[in-house]
Amino acid sequence: MWEQIRSNRNKSIILVIGMGLLLFVLGYFLGLLFLDNATGGLIIALIIWVIMSLTAYFQGDSILLSISKARKISREDHPRLYNVVEEMKIASGLEKMPDIYIIDDPALNAFATGRDIKHASVAITSGLLQKLNRDELQGVIAHEISHIKNRDVLLMSMCSVLLGTIVILSWYASRIMLFGGTGRSRRDRSSGGGGAQLIIMLIAIVLMIFAPIFAKLIYFAISRKREYLADASGALYTRYPEGLASALEKISSSEIQVQAANNATAPMYIDNPFRKKGAAQNLSSTHPPTAERIRILRSMSGASYVDYNQAYKNIHNTHSIIPETALTASSGAIPLRSAQSEKEGELDEKKQARETSDVLWRLNEYKTVDCGCGVRLRVPPGYRGTEIKCPRCGSINQLK
Amino acid sequence: MLAVWIIIGIVVILAIVFVSTYNGLVGKRNQVKNAWSQIDVQLKRRHDLIPNLVETAKGYMHHERETLEAVTKARNIAQAASSGGVGARAQAESELTSALSRLLVVVERYPDLKANQNFLSLQEELTATENRISFSRQFYNDSVLHYNNKIQMFPSNVVANMTGFKTSEFFEVTAPAEREAPKVSFQ
Amino acid sequence: MICPVCKSDMFVIEYNEIELDYCNQCGGVWFDQGELELMLKPASSENNNLLLKKILSSRDAVTLEQKRRCPLCNKKMKKVNIGYPDILIDACEHGEGLWFDGGEILKLVQQLPTQSTKENSNEQNVVDFLTEVFHARKQD
Repeated sequence: MWEQIRSNRNKSIILVIGMGLLLFVLGYFLGLLFLDNATGGLIIALIIWVIMSLTAYFQGDSILLSISKARKISREDHPRLYNVVEEMKIASGLEKMPDIYIIDDPALNAFATGRDIKHASVAITSGLLQKLNRDELQGVIAHEISHIKNRDVLLMSMCSVLLGTIVILSWYASRIMLFGGTGRSRRDRSSGGGGAQLIIMLIAIVLMIFAPIFAKLIYFAISRKREYLADASGALYTRYPEGLASALEKISSSEIQVQAANNATAPMYIDNPFRKKGAAQNLSSTHPPTAERIRILRSMSGASYVDYNQAYKNIHNTHSIIPETALTASSGAIPLRSAQSEKEGELDEKKQARETSDVLWRLNEYKTVDCGCGVRLRVPPGYRGTEIKCPRCGSINQLK
Repeated sequence: MLAVWIIIGIVVILAIVFVSTYNGLVGKRNQVKNAWSQIDVQLKRRHDLIPNLVETAKGYMHHERETLEAVTKARNIAQAASSGGVGARAQAESELTSALSRLLVVVERYPDLKANQNFLSLQEELTATENRISFSRQFYNDSVLHYNNKIQMFPSNVVANMTGFKTSEFFEVTAPAEREAPKVSFQ
Repeated sequence: MICPVCKSDMFVIEYNEIELDYCNQCGGVWFDQGELELMLKPASSENNNLLLKKILSSRDAVTLEQKRRCPLCNKKMKKVNIGYPDILIDACEHGEGLWFDGGEILKLVQQLPTQSTKENSNEQNVVDFLTEVFHARKQD
């Protein structure tokens, strides 16, 4: 629907092609160095890349979901979450309802995955689910749905595959060089043409060191841009940027790091899952600084792309983040709405925590026993007995 | 000879621009149609829910005949307007929404009814549907905005005028009560 | 969760909307960081995040008691005294939560309410809650 998908994707795709070229140049020179054959190097690079791409394309979402121990839920499991996802699906005009997953993790984060809009999933940690009120949850889900709608998921997973291939190739090449020597020197044929050999070797070494760094920088640049765009779309879908802003605030103030996150899966999360801080944070981060994202969202005077772009420009004093075509196509005032959720203080965190853990215990097949004294017992599926003594009042409860 | 080739080149480029603009317009128009059918689905769902809701409420609310009848009447009018244009339909649906919100205010006076499991689940379903209606309306209006912009802005307006594309109508909410309605959020 | 003492699958006790992991074999209890936070939030004036930090910053108690591993992060936990004689609980160095041995719970339940060193502190609230949940074990 929205123009920015096309024109912004074009820029991103150019960067991806840049990464692809980098991979081929790397393969070319490594081939020359080790196999005495540039085509051989290209073919090896290509094979690794194709295998990884196919795996990422067909299995990427299930791998990601299974390493993060995500549990798929239905409407009955968590009606509030389901309804919010459905609302955002409608607001974004997504054709198919994405699958919804809950990750049993106290860290605060969420991500979207799936190769295209028909095979998409959103996942949220149980920690985040219990900390957010309805408006904030809606903001987070809107951001994730935007990633699906803007087709960021496929783009970013293809990017991380390219990055992964480059990193793997350079890593193995440098190990072989350090410990095994090059193919040529082993065969001791380098008596002639030593100069050319030396140049190739130098280029290969430079590539081994810098290709992964460049690839990472490109990757991070693409990722950050997609984050801004997902924020903008999220604000448009909810008409309430404050929801996402306040959710991001909660997320960034948490000190718990996502357990199952790694470098490759980082851009899938709503906020950088790693909490380390450093000078190079701006260049080498998959996400823009959260404080800045919050500031942009809070200074929006309307819910349209034009408003987001204006807010972005006010803070950066530079170029637009959203392409001109998208801005003209969506020109027209879109007002913000007011808060729907109850006042912040009334958010019953305990109740939300129990609501969420209730789902998780059920999905993990724990049996529930309510004792007369007010204690609720959750019995692990491995328990073989037929009755259980209540640790509070000492009475014997039958297991059903 | 060169001049001929240049002219042919220009014509070909123009033709490509024309066709792609035209296709873009058709895509936008389909999107509006699709968004409209989304609203339709949600509104129908609401129409189907109301008779059950009224029936359940009747058993408890003995002094609110008028309010209940107003809801039923508004629902029937809205259903009849389903085949009409966007404007007429938006009007009828706003009336229905305000009739419903009046009913939900009155319900507060009947604790027995509020305790009724069947009514509770109907009310929850209704609230969820109201939310979905407002978001599908939002998506429809966003789509119309894009479509209309495309029709009115240069250069696509040239193609639109030549091939007879017409701007679509927004689904406007008229009754002030409507804006209040989808606020309930116990889900 | 797996009990760090007897390695059996732990039960979960929910009381007053707070969850505890409870070992049916040895009677040990895991008080998770998130649940601690939930429980302390309304009651205490202190910043609820501080309890674990405070406990972790206190000196490692000198003891012959065997070190236990955190059931969540599997790192060795710290032995700390939270203001009750003869009771050394285990605290996860990463702040995942607190571990009370079965015997420690029993002592807490039997000692109270005779000694309460600090009134209405976070530690007191935690101990009060545990006593409330496990008061049946007084007769054990």
